[in-house]
Amino acid sequence: MAIREDGYTKLFKFISYTIIVVASLASLLPFLLIISASLTSNDAITKYGYHFIPTEFSLEGYRMVFRFPQDVLRAYGVTASVTVVGTLLGLLCMTMAGYVLSRKDFKARNVFSFYIYFTTLFGGGLVPWYILITKYLGWMDSFKALIVPSLMSPFLIILMKNFIKSAVPEELFESAKIDGAGNFRIYWQIVLKLAMPGIATVALFLALHYWNDWFSSSMFINDTHKYQLQFYLYNVINSSNFMAQMGVSTGVSLSGDLPSESMKMAMAIVVTGPILFLYPFIQRYFVKGLTIGAVKG
Amino acid sequence: MKSKASKRLTAAAASMLTLALVAGCSGSKGTDSATGSAAPAGSPTASSATGIDTSKKVQLQVYMLGNAPKDLPAVEAEINKMAEQDLNATVKFNYTTWTDWDQKYKLLLSTGQSIDLIYTADWTQYQSYAKKGAFLALDDLLPKAAPELQKFVPQDYWDGVKVDGKIYTIPATYKEFVTGGFIYRKDLQEKYNLPVPTDLASYEQYLLGIQKNEPKMMPIFVNSNVAALHYSYMDLQKMIASNVPYGLNIKYDDPTHVTSYYGSKEMLEELKVWKRWQDEGLIPKNVLNSKDDGTNIFPTGKAASIIGDNPTKFNDNRMRTKASHPDWDLGYSPYANVTKIAPPVHPVHNGFAIPKSSKNPERALAFYQKLVLDKRYNQLTEYGFEGKNYTVDNGHYKMIGTSETNGFPREAMNGWAWRNPQYMLFNESYDNVKKIFDELDKYQTPDKFLGFAEDYTSYQAEKAALEQVEKQYLYPLYAGLVDDVDKGMATFMEKAKQAGLEKIQAEYTKQWLVYCKEKGLK
Repeated sequence: MAIREDGYTKLFKFISYTIIVVASLASLLPFLLIISASLTSNDAITKYGYHFIPTEFSLEGYRMVFRFPQDVLRAYGVTASVTVVGTLLGLLCMTMAGYVLSRKDFKARNVFSFYIYFTTLFGGGLVPWYILITKYLGWMDSFKALIVPSLMSPFLIILMKNFIKSAVPEELFESAKIDGAGNFRIYWQIVLKLAMPGIATVALFLALHYWNDWFSSSMFINDTHKYQLQFYLYNVINSSNFMAQMGVSTGVSLSGDLPSESMKMAMAIVVTGPILFLYPFIQRYFVKGLTIGAVKG
Repeated sequence: MKSKASKRLTAAAASMLTLALVAGCSGSKGTDSATGSAAPAGSPTASSATGIDTSKKVQLQVYMLGNAPKDLPAVEAEINKMAEQDLNATVKFNYTTWTDWDQKYKLLLSTGQSIDLIYTADWTQYQSYAKKGAFLALDDLLPKAAPELQKFVPQDYWDGVKVDGKIYTIPATYKEFVTGGFIYRKDLQEKYNLPVPTDLASYEQYLLGIQKNEPKMMPIFVNSNVAALHYSYMDLQKMIASNVPYGLNIKYDDPTHVTSYYGSKEMLEELKVWKRWQDEGLIPKNVLNSKDDGTNIFPTGKAASIIGDNPTKFNDNRMRTKASHPDWDLGYSPYANVTKIAPPVHPVHNGFAIPKSSKNPERALAFYQKLVLDKRYNQLTEYGFEGKNYTVDNGHYKMIGTSETNGFPREAMNGWAWRNPQYMLFNESYDNVKKIFDELDKYQTPDKFLGFAEDYTSYQAEKAALEQVEKQYLYPLYAGLVDDVDKGMATFMEKAKQAGLEKIQAEYTKQWLVYCKEKGLK
């Protein structure tokens, strides 16, 4: 009997593992297709379509992406520094805002909460925003235009506030006060430590936002040296789309080569690569933060 | 990075200072005596033709579409050196890039940013912006600030760009044709002894021949934008322009007689042609899902023909095909051979306007005159530095290196609008295009359609609804995918009428007839 049961268990294990393996492989397929296409020669793609195994192996796509290596690297640098600076500054601002709004002894907290919430419902729209930044603040072609507008996001502030509320019990503030801690010390030494999982979540959101941002570059940056990576690459694609669509009817001739299918795929790899590594890195903080909360809370 | 930039800045500042010393007096017409007397006597006054006040130094903001070339800073510095001397002005060339350019264009004009020159074209909605008052009327400024330019551009060009009787843009004078035609594989046509496609009937024979002999090739390239088929059909039917919207029928020879094409017998005939082509297997079954933009179909040997492309496109395709397969060849037969109608591009097609927000319209105009008429300015901004970016070989333009290594390929600044036929340099391969242009010249007729700008504010909702209906019910008909054509067209007409087709057509016709009267079209 026992042996037979083992057989069943084995069978069950076999089946369930197979299903899991197949399912996880299936979810990898699209990514594999992109990698394979990025390694296929462009002619082969136009002729035979996409395949999982490159029909004609070639690094042409990557060569096209990096044909002006210093441009790509510079754009990488811009995006990386904007992401780092923006995320750190943004976290500082938003945790402070979240902390202040979570303190019950802050009288005007409802007014401020509403003020922040209000902006999610009613926005000025694109034109006033554009005028504000270019005309009144004079941030055209400045990194400030890339970083500052996204520093405080209402959604993330509310998330932060709720997280601090649940992670830091009210009594903790009182006992810290009795021990002689000031407001900033409470924030810096207690709240920040306890709210680590929440901070990790917000940091991830924020970093992704900065990494994927191309719109700010598109609107406010004229200087090619300050393009963000996403915009730099997106623009290359758009130029070719323009050529294909408008070029026919307008007779506008654009110099330079067309980016190819394989180049688009190579771009996708180049762009998503680094941010993929952020997930496991942040994940560590998730776990750590959760356990800290469990033990001390 | 930073130190480099600041170094460059100091260098630029230093060179500007020295320049100011050397040529300080050139522009000032005695109004500003301080700089005039300080400058060494005898320095030649570079520009005295302009009757404008250049005593104050200004920076002009020029906005263009597209991407800035890599060597722009060097070119800009050189231009500034000259402009400083001639007009006491420096210039900054700004580019919108092709990403969301239409949105940015709108922002640039609507937010009152200080811009001195901006690119205009029919496809940037020049007429509607001019009507809204975004641009400065140039009629009074021209004789004062750019008299030579005014003489240089022919009067009918100036008339062509007028909106409500005023000039708002400076049209380009280079004449080119963007009319359609068949591009086909000449080597295959000769090999299998197929007819040369000139009209639809011979084209169909050519396609069938290709299908028989080269079963692996697509006989004709079409993608989800199947209206391209329809447009070519319209061109061959001598319509005033292939892209007359809303299914209106305006013939080139009789523009004031407007009828509805949608629902007409002619349309039924056309749709039956597509149905036949679909049945013969000439149009691919999955055409409505195809997103291939068709740029590489010839060099890869994927397709054997394409319709509706202009001579420049043809030449580009031919060069690229020859580069990868020397034994292949492409042929081109313009529709004009059959229709005898070949309008060159309308003057509004390329131009530069001065927005209302400009602080220095006179200087901007004077600078633009330099850009067009001064050979140094013109060739530098079109082709870069001779010897560094290009060489002139036997009267032909020759790029140094490849487009990847060269920081300023031909016309990299997108200066389509200030092309000056006298100073233009062409690639050797361009001779073919010129030959086609010469051929088209024989049939040259004025463009009657492009100068017209519709105002669709009163039927915007209907327009959007109609576009939806066209996509859903008409495109399958163009692709020949509907079995019963009569019934398919009836359904389409019913839906189109529900969407408000009649209202759109009536309103559009009204505006069009007013335009015809204004321009004296008959």
